[in-house]
Amino acid sequence: MRWVAGIEASLHTKLMAAFGVVTVLFVAMAAFGVHTVVKTTQQAKLLDEAHQRVDWSQQVEQALARQMQFSVLALLSQDEAAIARILRENNRFNELLAKLDAVERAEQHDLVEQVRVSQDEAMAVVADIANAIRDRTLGNVTRELLAHQERLDVEIGARVARLVDAEQRRMGALRDSIASANRELLVTTGILSLSAVLLAWLCGFVISWSVIVPVREAQGFLDHVATGSFDRRVVLPNRDEFGALAQRMNRMSEELQKLDRMKVDAATELAQLNTRLERASRAKSEFLSNMSHELRTPLNAILGFTEMIADGLYGEVPEELKDPLNDVQINGRHLLRLINEVLDLAKIEAGHMELALDDYSPPELIGAVRTSLRSLAEEKGLRFVTDVAADVPIARGDSGRLTQCLMNLTGNALKFTRSGEVCIGAARQGDELVYRVSDTGIGIPPEEIDNVFAEFRQVDATVTRKFGGTGLGLSISKKFIEMHGGRIWVESRVGVGSTFFFSVPLRVGESAT
Amino acid sequence: MNQRTVLYVEDNEYNRKIVRQLLSKTSYRLVEAFDGESGIASALELRPDLILMDVQLPKISGLDATRTLRADERTKDTPIVIITSFAMSGDRERATDAGASGYLAKPYSPRELLALLRKFLPEEA
Repeated sequence: MRWVAGIEASLHTKLMAAFGVVTVLFVAMAAFGVHTVVKTTQQAKLLDEAHQRVDWSQQVEQALARQMQFSVLALLSQDEAAIARILRENNRFNELLAKLDAVERAEQHDLVEQVRVSQDEAMAVVADIANAIRDRTLGNVTRELLAHQERLDVEIGARVARLVDAEQRRMGALRDSIASANRELLVTTGILSLSAVLLAWLCGFVISWSVIVPVREAQGFLDHVATGSFDRRVVLPNRDEFGALAQRMNRMSEELQKLDRMKVDAATELAQLNTRLERASRAKSEFLSNMSHELRTPLNAILGFTEMIADGLYGEVPEELKDPLNDVQINGRHLLRLINEVLDLAKIEAGHMELALDDYSPPELIGAVRTSLRSLAEEKGLRFVTDVAADVPIARGDSGRLTQCLMNLTGNALKFTRSGEVCIGAARQGDELVYRVSDTGIGIPPEEIDNVFAEFRQVDATVTRKFGGTGLGLSISKKFIEMHGGRIWVESRVGVGSTFFFSVPLRVGESAT
Repeated sequence: MNQRTVLYVEDNEYNRKIVRQLLSKTSYRLVEAFDGESGIASALELRPDLILMDVQLPKISGLDATRTLRADERTKDTPIVIITSFAMSGDRERATDAGASGYLAKPYSPRELLALLRKFLPEEA
């Protein structure tokens, strides 16, 4: 099987060769059969001829016997008419002999010739007899002639018998030959057909297995490849189509293995890079967090002492110092807010931020925001209103963080509005609570809308200087809202105003019913 | 002599000074400590009526010091107010878990601090 697989020929050639060999065997068988039939037919013809000859020889014997009879009759009756009958028989005899001679083979020619010589002699005797009858001298020679004729008759009879005998021997030989040819045909045909059947079976078996084995090998190989491991190779003895196929499969596997290795390398590299990035990110967050702490400690002292001075802990504050003292406090608190925002962002990025979920009242929350920012609105002469829908129920969420978001949005609205109105609203939409802060401020150009929630971005860098703020407020708010499972968006027209919306689930942390 | 004793554990001199000057106008007696270790020692020795504990302290953190004091028979019922500069969600829970009675975010207003102090420990007239 492996040997057949290893033959450097296509499967087609192998199959054709196998069929060819079997076909040759069958053709040989047929040729031999035809040959045998022709041979036996010939021999049957010869047998027929021999039969004919035997028949003729027997007629020769009969003619001879009658000739003898008529000779004896002629001698006894001394009648010339009898001679005429002898001559008639002689003619028949000669005809038969001529026929025999025409078909006889060389060795029998002599025999026929001898018969003819004896017959001529016998005819001479008959002539003598006829003469003696005519001359009336028969009486003297009757015995002598009769004896001579008898001797010749015996002689011819013996020779004809030998002819017959020879023919019968030949017939026997022919019959034997035909029988043996038939036997030979049977045996040879049997052997040939048996070997053809065996050969066909063997070729079929071997060739089919030389196909099945590589197909199974390939199946196993492909199954292995399908599991994602490319370390195996197909090893086939085949140097046919399957051999070529195996070569290509191996090349494919090598390529896949190369790609796989590249993929693994890339993944490792990526993982390392990721780890480095995570470490860097964590270091950054830790740095920010530590910095915030370091900044807050002196700020605590600044704000603490200022408050105690303002509260008159160290004695009455002169009137002219009250205003600058107030400025110190305002700027100190502003600095604190900036530090808080940086710290918040650091915490969020480090993944340390968790929501403190609790039940809260949205109108109360909005009211608190309004209360703490009312003085700012009054200073700028802005109308500052709230609009909470009547069906807004008690909600669940991190009220501290949501207050921070609203403070940030409302603070911005107040900051960017010179005249008109700022409104904080809330409405229920299904399982969600939608807060909104609208103003009649400067608005946001459409091309900047997408950037407003990005870190360290304000519509214009000069805006930061003019209005203050880190530019972190919106991105921090966005992160808080996303932590709640909500989203934030803005609708704005330059010169008309902006409305910031954010939606949060009504019951954060509880599965919606 | 019905003076109430407050222990303030804080490593920053100026913050200690604020509380010192704030309490100088009250009847509270202030005892100061600079780190977690000396804070625990002072608390166990002096048995103050209330402890103000900063979170970020040298040697032993304020939260660990609080746990230690809560585990001790002598201070297990003493009110402890944790002061943290991480005004973050989760800080309050951590402080409560450590056994704190109250919680104050830094920077604190001296007015608020005094209010909290009086809530836990009414000044004796």
